[in-house]
Amino acid sequence: MASFLRPGLFRQTCQNPTASQCMLSTFTSSSIKRATPLAQQLRPSFVRSAIPKSTRIAAFHATQRQQLLPPQPQKILGTVNDPAPVPTPEPTHGAYHWSFERLVSAGLVPLCIAPFAAGSLNPVMDATLCALLIIHSHIGFEACIIDYFPKNRVPVARNLAMWALRIGTVVLGVALYSFETNDVGVTEAVKRVWHA
Amino acid sequence: MTRLSGLQREVLSLYRQCMRAVREKPADTRDNFRVFARTEFRRNVRLDKKDFGTIEYLLRKGHRQLEIYRDPGIRNISR
Amino acid sequence: MATTRALTRLATRRTAVPPAIFTRGFASVDPIAREPISKAAEAAVPDPARKPVPESQTSTIKEPEAEKGAKIKTFHIYRWNPDEPSSKPRMQSYTLDLNKTGPMMLDALIRIKNEVDPTLTFRRSCREGICGSCAMNIDGVNTLACLCRIPTDTAKESRIYPLPHMYIVKDLVPDMTLFYKQYRSIKPYLQRDTPPPDGREYRQSKAERKKLDGLYECILCACCSTSCPSYWWNQEEYLGPAILLQSYRWIADSRDEKKAERQDALNNSMSLYRCHTILNCSRTCPKGLNPALAIAEIKKSMAFT
Repeated sequence: MASFLRPGLFRQTCQNPTASQCMLSTFTSSSIKRATPLAQQLRPSFVRSAIPKSTRIAAFHATQRQQLLPPQPQKILGTVNDPAPVPTPEPTHGAYHWSFERLVSAGLVPLCIAPFAAGSLNPVMDATLCALLIIHSHIGFEACIIDYFPKNRVPVARNLAMWALRIGTVVLGVALYSFETNDVGVTEAVKRVWHA
Repeated sequence: MTRLSGLQREVLSLYRQCMRAVREKPADTRDNFRVFARTEFRRNVRLDKKDFGTIEYLLRKGHRQLEIYRDPGIRNISR
Repeated sequence: MATTRALTRLATRRTAVPPAIFTRGFASVDPIAREPISKAAEAAVPDPARKPVPESQTSTIKEPEAEKGAKIKTFHIYRWNPDEPSSKPRMQSYTLDLNKTGPMMLDALIRIKNEVDPTLTFRRSCREGICGSCAMNIDGVNTLACLCRIPTDTAKESRIYPLPHMYIVKDLVPDMTLFYKQYRSIKPYLQRDTPPPDGREYRQSKAERKKLDGLYECILCACCSTSCPSYWWNQEEYLGPAILLQSYRWIADSRDEKKAERQDALNNSMSLYRCHTILNCSRTCPKGLNPALAIAEIKKSMAFT
């Protein structure tokens, strides 16, 4: 409720003349002189006269700026001379994860080229391609989520995003499986689209 | 009593930490430290409750000052 | 022969009347030019939104006396005074005559502080790019003010901001506490258990020493870290290019015996692997180093082990 009555919003809506004039001037510069904009007429005159121009413009520019993730208060653990905490080593999320990711990415390159170069359709190769694609996209989106939803500041959104990603990956897996078994398969589909 | 926001609780906690730190100072200069801490808080008492950025900045500054003045080498402060 | 030539050159230079281009002063203090600073301290609109008031709404502080043929350049500088904590940051404009100013941005800043507005605050120490104090964002690039030439095109206006995504102490001074704490966390010193073989010093071959070239030159100015989007978003956990470069400097050192421990400290999802090879760090480094390469080397040395 309070957010509807923010003074900044009010000020912005009732102090629009600079913006509306700018907008109008792109249409006709002469019409401003004759017809004042509707918003200006509706506004009580004392608002216009009481506030100096610079303040009005500043309010217009600076109040209603919704920041997506505004800066948090600075938190310093320990004194200034203590080192920042060193996390415990987790190779599964660190080195192993990175090596695996690179292997998958490197493996995708020949798998994308091979079926078209060879010209033959192999269900095993198709299945491998699908599996690697799923893993690759999952790791990529996971990295985005870790970057943009920090665990310590938006824990709920982080968990939601992670579960959405997992569900999406499973759905994609099932869809690709049925596409492979009941339909033509990824390679054949790409080939047909290419020639269509 | 209304429920306090997180920021308000942080300010109160800083104030309590200051008052506790005062007790570790020599007995004859404790008053000086107490008055100093109180004036530092009182200086910004009129601040807008919604002015989060400023309050966060002052909290940061307050913590740093507390860390400096808490040092046992500092035995007196001018009031 | 060469020495005599150099001597004659020196002699002629000393005797010759200096041409007009050598007469410009470097950050000179002109007693007449000192103006009261009341103009600078204008009341800003108090507002909780932390976006600086654009320079179009703040007054311009002018060069004291304009001469004929003066090359007047405008500088827009980010200002925020912690003594008025509820005030908004604002962009203050200053005009300087480039003929009377030194060639670097730091000269301009020092001249502004000396002659125009003593309240302007910034860090500086060596004025030759070896201390890393004067790191700031000039015309959109993180760099050292003392290594950044003032563009002589007076039609363009220069904008100077503090390092991006840092907590600001005052005007152009960022709070580097977290950065230094992170630096401390990688233990930036030689760690050994065994004494030196000859009982005197730890020796290194030329090839081993060569590995440290391009690493030891880092002056920890934080230009690269604050240009890294990953560091912007996850400052608390990701170490940032500067610290990782320093970490690699100790991992690559042949005399250090705690390589495995150093690597273990980085072996988690946040500390090292938030680097997505954006390469802003290598692009912005004012010393011409390559932090991205150092990070890649760390990743390579830890991969498939």
